[in-house]
Amino acid sequence: MEEPILRYEKIDFLGEGQFATVYKAKDVKTDKIVAVKKIKIGSRLEAQDGINRTALREIKLLQELQHINLIGLLDVFGQKSNVSLVFDFMDTDLEIIIKDNTIVLTPANVKAYMIMTLKGLEYLHQNWILHRDLKPNNLLINREGILKIGDFGLAKAFGSPTRINTHQVVTRWYRAPELLFGARQYGTGVDMWAVGCILAELLLRVPFLPGETDLDQLSRIFQVFGTPTEENWPGMKSLTDYVQFKQFPAQQLRHIFSAASDDLIILLESLLSLYPPKRCDCTQALQMTYFSNKPAPTVGTKLPMPSNITKMEAEKPSLKRKLLDNIDGGSLAKRLQF
Amino acid sequence: MMPGRIGNLPISAENPLGLSWHDSAWIPLLNPTNIMDYFSERSNPFFDRTCNNEVVKMQRLSMDQLQNMTGLEYILLHVQEPILYVIRKQHRHSPTQATPLADYYIIAGIVYQAPDLASVLNSRLLSAVHHLQCSFEETMSYSRYHPSKGYWWDFKANKPGQSAPKEVSSAPKEEPSTLFQRQRVDMLLAELMRQFPLPVSQTTPNQTNGVTVKTENTDGKAGDKSTDGNVNNITIKQEPVDPSSSDMTNGSLQGHSEIKTEIKQENMKPPPEKKTRL
Repeated sequence: MEEPILRYEKIDFLGEGQFATVYKAKDVKTDKIVAVKKIKIGSRLEAQDGINRTALREIKLLQELQHINLIGLLDVFGQKSNVSLVFDFMDTDLEIIIKDNTIVLTPANVKAYMIMTLKGLEYLHQNWILHRDLKPNNLLINREGILKIGDFGLAKAFGSPTRINTHQVVTRWYRAPELLFGARQYGTGVDMWAVGCILAELLLRVPFLPGETDLDQLSRIFQVFGTPTEENWPGMKSLTDYVQFKQFPAQQLRHIFSAASDDLIILLESLLSLYPPKRCDCTQALQMTYFSNKPAPTVGTKLPMPSNITKMEAEKPSLKRKLLDNIDGGSLAKRLQF
Repeated sequence: MMPGRIGNLPISAENPLGLSWHDSAWIPLLNPTNIMDYFSERSNPFFDRTCNNEVVKMQRLSMDQLQNMTGLEYILLHVQEPILYVIRKQHRHSPTQATPLADYYIIAGIVYQAPDLASVLNSRLLSAVHHLQCSFEETMSYSRYHPSKGYWWDFKANKPGQSAPKEVSSAPKEEPSTLFQRQRVDMLLAELMRQFPLPVSQTTPNQTNGVTVKTENTDGKAGDKSTDGNVNNITIKQEPVDPSSSDMTNGSLQGHSEIKTEIKQENMKPPPEKKTRL
């Protein structure tokens, strides 16, 4: 297995998560920039089970999935006891864009992001896979303005009627109410709810429902959509973690999203229905008038990029060159040690 | 866009030039810093909430960003404290280029759309033609014909016969006051309303508690247009769309300043009086 290690030249350190370290690297064979995710071995105890579970999920699922709006797993290689995954290189993610105050997200931009997200998710759901961790941070965007859903560490096949799932999925702010009530059997609705929260966040530029605890999350949801009753959510009370909430009246979404067009409000209401079966699926969502009405979605290359990326573009190469010159005369690129 | 904001779209869709809007809770507080917020009130029929201003506001960004956006925006064009503000609706193409679409003026807290020249000319021409036609009809009713005598004029008042029945019915109503008296009273009222504009709007008979949309149509629709009881004191009025209802008294004041024109329109509220003069 000597070859793959030589194949990827490390360019930059990108970030470190709980389970992995990510590097920017160049694929010598194809001259493509890629992201190499090196899975940490973890403690001896974890290592007993073999490879890390989230990594296994990513490898298992992504190998079979091919879609422009899903992150592409290009290669997997191992060295010693490490496993590394090679992904498409993505310049930024939606969280960075949302938090960048110099960017204005026009209605057309929002529509473009939504279409790409829903298309990727539609493909995923059609292949009976739930992502279960959709959030702006996991919607990756490259400099061509193509959005790809990433991080399949929590993704799982769904649809088996007897399969019990854990409800401890999805980052809290994007977690659907049925998960917060402890539902063990759920479907695409959990992803749709998260998409609704992401859409809301694109409009407001702050997290729509930033709950501090699971209970606070539920009460924030009900403060906006009204506390559900047995009539508009049959069977709610039989969920394991069900707790009675104070009766909140529902608010008008158009008052919260003051600049949103009416067709957008309809989509939002459909994505964020409290009763899971009432939520639309991706295909239905994409059929809604919002996506056929004006304004047309922004084309990829015209989508905004965070200011630091455009700036880096100008500064980085020269700086990098200088550093390399000092170290080893610039003749040799550094090898990535896996 | 608009149907979202107001309960009854048809009014604003008909003709924005016949509309006025105000929220009396705001009026005492208006100043150049909050006038745009006042204008962007949800119930204001002139405000398109999909504009860039609202997008920037919803995204909690700085209003300076407006310069860098393209599309619909509103700007504060002119301030003449404490009474007059002019707001422009424009389409921005680039940071330096924008096409004006419409102007709105806020006078004494009441928002109107400034008419374009074509509408003004149109309206004046229409009213002139209308009055001409009225006088012809009136004249026609006095002409008499007999095969042996030919044509002659008969100016004896209230002759039965060819004169229109509506004239007959309206004649008694006009007795209580002469034309001169009415014009005089109208002018005095206009002057008073110019000095004390606020109480007038609050005590208008057609206003219900809450958002009121007024149509001052001759068919007296004003009452049933009242809707949307969620915000207090907000009033949307609509002036008559039918130019024939702008009668002689109105015409006598139309040439005056804008203030007077506006107040004049308020004056026209009791529709029966107008009808009588047709």
